[in-house]
Amino acid sequence: MPNRAQLETFAAGVETAVDVAQIERQLHELWQLAAESEKDPSQRQITRDCLFNFVVLCETDAGVAHATEVISSLTSRHPCRAIVLSAGSDSATSELSASISAHCHLAGTGQKQVCCEQIAIHATGQSVARLGSAVLPLLESDLPTIVWWQGSFLERIDLFRRLVAVANRVIYNTSAWDDALLQLAALARVITEYPRCGFADLSWTRSALWRQLAAEFFDEPHCRVELSRIRAVDIVHGSGPGAGVRALLYGSWFAAQLRWPVAEAQTKIHFSESNDRDATSVGIVSVAIKTNDATFSIRSNHGEDTASVTVDMPNACGLPRKRAFWRSDDASLLSQEFDRSTRDPVYERALAMAVAWLEERAR
Amino acid sequence: MENFIAANPLREGLSTQQAPEPCALVIFGATGDLTHRKLVPALYNLAHEGQLPQSFAIVGFARRPKTHDQFRAELRDAVAQFSRFQPINPAVWDALAQAIFYHQSEFADAKGYKTLDEFLRKLDTERGTAGNRLFYLATSPTEFIGIIEQLGVNGLARMDRAHGSPPRIIVEKPFGRSLPTAQELNHKLANVFRERQVFRIDHYLGKETVQNIVALRFGNEIFEPIWNQKYIDHVQITVAESLGVEDRGGYYDKSGALRDMVQNHLMQLLTLVAMEPPTVLEGESIHDEKVKVLRALRPIAPDHAQQFTVRGQYARGSMAGKPVPGYREEKNVAPDSRTETFVALKLFIDNWRWAGVPFYLRHGKRLPKGVAEIAIQFKAPPAVLFAAESPVPLQPNVLVLRIQPDEGIAIRMNAKVPGNTVNLQPVKMDFRYGGSFGARSPEAYERLLHDVILGDSTLFTRRDEVERSWQIIDAIIDGWNASPAPFPYESGTWGPAEADEFIQRDGREWRRL
Repeated sequence: MPNRAQLETFAAGVETAVDVAQIERQLHELWQLAAESEKDPSQRQITRDCLFNFVVLCETDAGVAHATEVISSLTSRHPCRAIVLSAGSDSATSELSASISAHCHLAGTGQKQVCCEQIAIHATGQSVARLGSAVLPLLESDLPTIVWWQGSFLERIDLFRRLVAVANRVIYNTSAWDDALLQLAALARVITEYPRCGFADLSWTRSALWRQLAAEFFDEPHCRVELSRIRAVDIVHGSGPGAGVRALLYGSWFAAQLRWPVAEAQTKIHFSESNDRDATSVGIVSVAIKTNDATFSIRSNHGEDTASVTVDMPNACGLPRKRAFWRSDDASLLSQEFDRSTRDPVYERALAMAVAWLEERAR
Repeated sequence: MENFIAANPLREGLSTQQAPEPCALVIFGATGDLTHRKLVPALYNLAHEGQLPQSFAIVGFARRPKTHDQFRAELRDAVAQFSRFQPINPAVWDALAQAIFYHQSEFADAKGYKTLDEFLRKLDTERGTAGNRLFYLATSPTEFIGIIEQLGVNGLARMDRAHGSPPRIIVEKPFGRSLPTAQELNHKLANVFRERQVFRIDHYLGKETVQNIVALRFGNEIFEPIWNQKYIDHVQITVAESLGVEDRGGYYDKSGALRDMVQNHLMQLLTLVAMEPPTVLEGESIHDEKVKVLRALRPIAPDHAQQFTVRGQYARGSMAGKPVPGYREEKNVAPDSRTETFVALKLFIDNWRWAGVPFYLRHGKRLPKGVAEIAIQFKAPPAVLFAAESPVPLQPNVLVLRIQPDEGIAIRMNAKVPGNTVNLQPVKMDFRYGGSFGARSPEAYERLLHDVILGDSTLFTRRDEVERSWQIIDAIIDGWNASPAPFPYESGTWGPAEADEFIQRDGREWRRL
């Protein structure tokens, strides 16, 4: 049975090593001790909260540290049981080690702290293959499971298949994948294999404001008619990692939502890499939607966290204006995805269009 | 192709499904507290979330001379102090500030409305507000009718365009101070606006947890089957305030707790708890169900007021260890005032679902703490199994919907104490929004202003709701006029002892909060 000092250490977020087989028991005893402390007002009052299981796959130690930071930030808004898995398959030794810690936040106006537990499991050598079996018994029953795969799950497809069988959602970031454009077709195939699981690409999530701003142009009926008159969509992106994938998904979304065939999309949508001050940008730099009578433009403002939106047409729909970008750090993007509980057919259509676009281009 | 673009295909899957139409919001009483503390911070929050129309303007209408820039500077300070987004985002504020204007006029001056009309037309051209107008009455209630008439006479309530929405008017509380005054105000509104153009604010309805009453009741199968007289013993609705009348003594002394809080906020909570499921989750359908509850509320005849109500008035006492004055010592309060600062009511809803179930409503100022909740107390289980073993009688189950602070839901149930005896003790399952959904909810005014801009009246009160509610309140006040003064209670206590006796006569207790 843990003592009060161990509970304080745990609640302070300090990792405590624990045998993999003893994780559940150790956590149970710690929470029981926390519940008993409620009777003593002189003790720190803590309680546990959990709305879902959050499994994170990390490829490096830096990835684990980043995941811990993100989880700490997320748990105040999205209480969960976080299970952080890391694999060092190159190691000669074969080990499975674990630790537990907590992320605590003051709740509401009271002095009570609401805590979420983090379980970290590190596997090396042959033990990597056993990660799946270590995770499944740790999942809280009757709660959704969300998997955040920091790298490409296509590279660890066996472990992926084991986890996706129990996952409600899988979140990844194609912008961080090597040769993402080459992997999109395989990704699209995997997504269709698992119709009961939702898939989310943070690269796509990050473009949400760009999609929102483009949509706003056409809310007014007299502007909406311009959708059928579009002759060109010019998308400029940076040259940083993942910028090309983001731009392709964005253009593909536009084409898919307007039901353009691939050939029409390729005639009308033009991608180009920015050569100016925004060249290192990892995202979209500007979008111009052109019809015979109008140009609808969105441009990110260099050095500001804003986008400028302009409409050049008679009887303009809206005035030039600036919009603050939504935060695009991993915690903020994941938070947006946690609020969605189902598959995203719009994303899947955009991905299918992007794959078709690439295949057509390869011919 | 025409069908294809009937809806915006780019909107699919986005978090915002409908962009609000361009519009100009005119705030009457623009230099007042409500505008600074609530309305403009809420508008800034909406701008921050990208939920304002692309083409939007705010026109402050008030008496004091002021330039646009002076007005903007004042509002910036207010936003910096009262917005839930801190610190202020310069890009968001700058964009909003460009849309803020000031129009100086007396409320009764027809010329001021003519120049307002001209100014709004200019904004239609320059800022693309498309002739859509929202008028917000944030003035003293004594100005309401005059402003409504001026809007009518000067053509500002007319829709003179081929497309767009008719002008909307938002009326702050108090909506009248009796049935005749509410009827008069409704009548004046109806002379100028159609009912669907009128948005009567009850900011309680904008609170996330109040909206959650409907979600809890109709989004869960386990509650609705037992939500009736067969299983529920009684319902307690409490809105307690720790503050006194502060600087509202002049207004409050003519109003009192019953008019100020019960007629609107507590009655709205009661209707949401008691109503039947609406056919759809839309304004008219929900209003219809709420009105049915109000119609089924058994009126308290004046000669029964003593039996079904208790009123109190706070006397000197202490709050958080500091002495506080009694109500009659407050600024702008008559030294012999008979105005109630505490009220407890017992109401019955004479319909199939609620026959015989008392609804106890309790509100007061200078109570020990600020708390608002609805407690559904179920009937006690038969004690035959545990009576001999358990040293204390079984506690009935209670479902508590906490509105503030620590918004959440709690259920009290009985559980066996570990050990060799069959000893049962009540335990509480507690769900707190703050813990499970850490994000801060939008302010009530944010939600309500957003709904007005979209033209959604679900969270506003309809004419018949207001009038029926006043009918019930007026009968109580008639009864009070013929009865002794309110019972005094010491500040910092839970009201007069008579309130405890009132509920104890029924074999029940007020909840300890």
